[in-house]
Amino acid sequence: MSDQSGLVKEALGAIAKARTEGELETITLDYLGRKSGQITKLLTGIGQLAPDQRAALGQSANEAKRAIEAALASRREELEGARLADIAETEAIDVTFPGPPLGRGHINVLTQMQRQIETVLESLGYRVELGPEVETEWYNFEALNISAGHPARENWDSFYFTPQLLLRAHTSPVQIRAMQRSKEPPIYIITPGRCYRRDAPEATRLPYFSQVEGLAVDRGLTVGDMKGTLLYMIQSLYGNERKVRVRPSYFPFTEPSFEFDITCGICGGAGCKSCRHKGWLEVGGCGMVHPQVLRNGGIDPDQWNGYAWGFGIERMAMLKHNVDDIRLFYESDLRFLEQF
Amino acid sequence: MRISYEWLSDFVDLKDVTPKEAAAVLTRLGLEVENLTVVDLSEIIVGKVLEQIPHPKSRNPLWVHQVDLGDHVEQIIAGAPNAVPGSLVPVAMPGTAVPNGKIVRDMNIAGYQARGMLCSADELLLGDDHSGILILDSGKPGDSLETVIPSQVTMDIEVTSNRPDCMGHLGVARELAAGLDRPMKVDFMPGFTGTANPPGRDLVKVSIDEPGLCARYIGGVIKGVKIGASPEWLQRRLRACGVRPINNIVDITNYVLLEYAQPLHAFDLAKLDPPEIHVRHAHTGEKLLCLDGVERQLTPEMLVIADSHKPVAIAGVIGGEETAVSDATTGILLEAATFNGSSVRQTARELGLRTEASSRFDKGLPAELALAGARRAASLIAELAGGSVHREWADVYPLPQEPVRVRFRPGLIDEMLGLHVPLEEAESILKRLNFHVRPLEDGEWDVLPPVFRLDVTIPQDLVEEVGRVYGYDRVPSTLPGHRRDKWIPAVPSIGRRLDAAREVLAGAGFTETWNPALVSGRLLESLRVDAHAMRVSNALSDDMDTLRTSLLPSLVGVVGLNRDRGRQEVCVYEIASAFLAPVGDKSAQPHEPMRLGVLATAGASADAARTSFYAMKSVLDAAFAALGAPPCTYQRGAQELFHPGRCAAVVLDGRLLGYMGELHPAVASTFKIEGRLVALEIDLEPVLAASRTSRAQPLPRFPAVERDLAVVVEDHVAAGALLATIKEVGGEYLEQARAFDEYHGPQVPEGQKSIAFTLTFRSPERTLTDAEVDRVMTEIKIGLQKRHKARFRE
Repeated sequence: MSDQSGLVKEALGAIAKARTEGELETITLDYLGRKSGQITKLLTGIGQLAPDQRAALGQSANEAKRAIEAALASRREELEGARLADIAETEAIDVTFPGPPLGRGHINVLTQMQRQIETVLESLGYRVELGPEVETEWYNFEALNISAGHPARENWDSFYFTPQLLLRAHTSPVQIRAMQRSKEPPIYIITPGRCYRRDAPEATRLPYFSQVEGLAVDRGLTVGDMKGTLLYMIQSLYGNERKVRVRPSYFPFTEPSFEFDITCGICGGAGCKSCRHKGWLEVGGCGMVHPQVLRNGGIDPDQWNGYAWGFGIERMAMLKHNVDDIRLFYESDLRFLEQF
Repeated sequence: MRISYEWLSDFVDLKDVTPKEAAAVLTRLGLEVENLTVVDLSEIIVGKVLEQIPHPKSRNPLWVHQVDLGDHVEQIIAGAPNAVPGSLVPVAMPGTAVPNGKIVRDMNIAGYQARGMLCSADELLLGDDHSGILILDSGKPGDSLETVIPSQVTMDIEVTSNRPDCMGHLGVARELAAGLDRPMKVDFMPGFTGTANPPGRDLVKVSIDEPGLCARYIGGVIKGVKIGASPEWLQRRLRACGVRPINNIVDITNYVLLEYAQPLHAFDLAKLDPPEIHVRHAHTGEKLLCLDGVERQLTPEMLVIADSHKPVAIAGVIGGEETAVSDATTGILLEAATFNGSSVRQTARELGLRTEASSRFDKGLPAELALAGARRAASLIAELAGGSVHREWADVYPLPQEPVRVRFRPGLIDEMLGLHVPLEEAESILKRLNFHVRPLEDGEWDVLPPVFRLDVTIPQDLVEEVGRVYGYDRVPSTLPGHRRDKWIPAVPSIGRRLDAAREVLAGAGFTETWNPALVSGRLLESLRVDAHAMRVSNALSDDMDTLRTSLLPSLVGVVGLNRDRGRQEVCVYEIASAFLAPVGDKSAQPHEPMRLGVLATAGASADAARTSFYAMKSVLDAAFAALGAPPCTYQRGAQELFHPGRCAAVVLDGRLLGYMGELHPAVASTFKIEGRLVALEIDLEPVLAASRTSRAQPLPRFPAVERDLAVVVEDHVAAGALLATIKEVGGEYLEQARAFDEYHGPQVPEGQKSIAFTLTFRSPERTLTDAEVDRVMTEIKIGLQKRHKARFRE
């Protein structure tokens, strides 16, 4: 018995003095190790003892073991507590020192803008449709009611390869192709893509640019539906305080036709220098699809009607990100592209 | 189109309407007012010049005036000599802001005190004449200039091409009247054809050779006119619209053009030889000295007005100098005609000459307008230039304007607008816009648009007329909502699917660019990638005259630009179409494969570029994995833009997608770029087509065994070939084999290399024993030995 209490005392003393986890580990082995632990050794001769002695010895050895284990656990806790109490000092780093450069690449601002527009319109059930950039005269003009000699045609001065083949001046040809493909409405599509017009490059326009056009063909669509769609789109992209107005205009492929404007983001519509005191910024064109255009797409205008709209992705990005020169988008100066 | 506000009030009562309100009404109706200019003349005073002497000391030509300002006399210095004693002139006193924005100050010029300024028309924004002081017709010294010239408001209006009727004040006034719901004071002025004998048609013979290009030609003869200056009010209105006054006859033709939108021309009757008019095509070789002093070569496609010998005007574009009205003119032939719009447009374009007349004709004018315009001009000429207007003009009218009727179901208004417009209101709006509306028994309307509205032909046009006056801002915003028996499933767009690759590229440090598809054809030639190039026939410049056949030249250009701006390392990519004309047929639509082009600067040394090559391969592999496509394979390849020893063909399921590798040194030097470039360009459509949704695999339940294997082979043996053998021989337990190191050096013989592989073995059913793995390893070694003469390092 005294052996055990001596051992326990000795062990507890050692535990109290231990300073590290390693020392505690050693103590554990010394006393409780499965082969050579001192408490364990006490039990080696237990088999030869009488049953009652055996029980007594077993019990007291177990008590000794529990006492040591408890002391070990509480000392561990003490040591861990002390260590954690210190790390604020011992492991402190300079948190203001900058991290290493990440070399992150950037998804183009126009891709980001296009995707945002798509996301908004997809949430209304529109699907993305694509088409060729080199188009035929028929799809680019004739099918859209802009026959040769039409007075409005000079608004779409185009690059030609042959008299019948040109770079599309808008993504409207995709609308015709989509109508022809669909056979039967409803049609709800958007047509993002690159377009080309023969305009000399300057701060507000380029001979190459990108558009998103939208087309809805269904039964009984109204100017109100078109306005609501544009309003939802604009407020989703620019915030709830923006207003949209449609202003009568003229395009050969819609009747009625409109320009659509949004309130200036700087003055909120009151008029300021940046909107030339108009309060409104011109964004794009829209209108109810001309019955002849529906016919050209193979759709019966007595059964169905539609609305369509179009605008430049660059223009939308310029409004959103305060870019004042459209040429920056296609110049690919990384100092510009890395801002987005 | 510049509109004088004052002029509008001839036609519509603008009492209590501010110019700003009027501008808002017009914009709402579809005539967008882009600028509103207010010229306030109330601060400018009338002065009378008492004395004028040349400045005795100034080196510049200056004149010193004594000017009576009613209650006192001031000394004022001016740079123009035309304010002679007795002239009435506009004077701005020190501290006054002149309409052009200048503020007048006291000055002392070479010892002469000057108080105030004599103003030119230009400074008062009353025209562009800055050659001299504006001399007034009347006025009392000391009074505000407003007593002589009303303060002016002008509006710049953007007129859409379907509304040539609004290219005149009358048309704009009609719109304003409809928008304000006020009656027109007058519309077309009362008819006037003259009274003098003999009939005008007996004095001039008109024939139209090309009735398709000239629907109508009216020639009115007016004799005994007195050429002189127009009255001040008329000059003022012309100036307000940016037209320079010339003489009364020319001014009146311009005035009526600005008022009715009908272009007119006046010939000197005496210069027509004989007084005959032929509307015909120009003959080859004919020339015409035009009113602007330029002699123009005419081509047979151009329509001209000619007497029996020579062209005297280019139809609808510009008149000739020789037959123009001059101070000596006494008799004129007044022309009011209707020329074909596209013919005029083509001629004007051919000549590079866009005039007030051509910009109206080219929209297509109604033939009925010609007579109204001619009558208005004749009555003004009789009033302001005297002379007698001969009755019964020549009026050749081969293509009479057909009246248009539209059968209209008024319910269409509500259906299209999504708003209820009361029928009476719709009818009233159409009537305000000069449409005749006759309700029929079946409830539909028979609608007759006014003669000046050729743009209205279908029911939808009438909905627009009602809608724009009723106000589109009153249409509530809604979204389409219908019961559906057919649904359009939402599928991710190609662009959105490719975003997975964009994210990988962004993570790897590559920035996406959008570059112009039009590039220099010469550049493509010099890079030898022009075989399928399509060249634009009417390019703006030769640096963008051809569609690119590859994205890589654009990306190399991006490196060049960024290097020039101080950036050394450039990692960029683009996703866009390349354009490949079909072989042998450059008139068919080209193939437009959507491609991924990636480019990175890769240091200066061969070793650095080699490292970059393998890094780019990893990027491409990761992009494929992100797109859900199976991994691509790489084979030794060759392509014009790439280094012949460092080019891989990228293959997916046996199909060539494109190439990757180091760019050919010649490419970098073409762009004057130092150092090496690593790039790839592949078609994306097959990758997306091969993309599959990931299917979950059960996680392995038993541990894997990994073994490394260092294989020594001849230099020319490709790692890919060794891997193929390993995979083939490795059997079902070989889970993965990967090459991780290539070694040249003292430990392997000259001309050989050592490639290290890590092989992972695993069974789905149990833990493999070392012996089992050893057996497979031995087979692999034997296979490599046999096929590639491989040896092995421990």
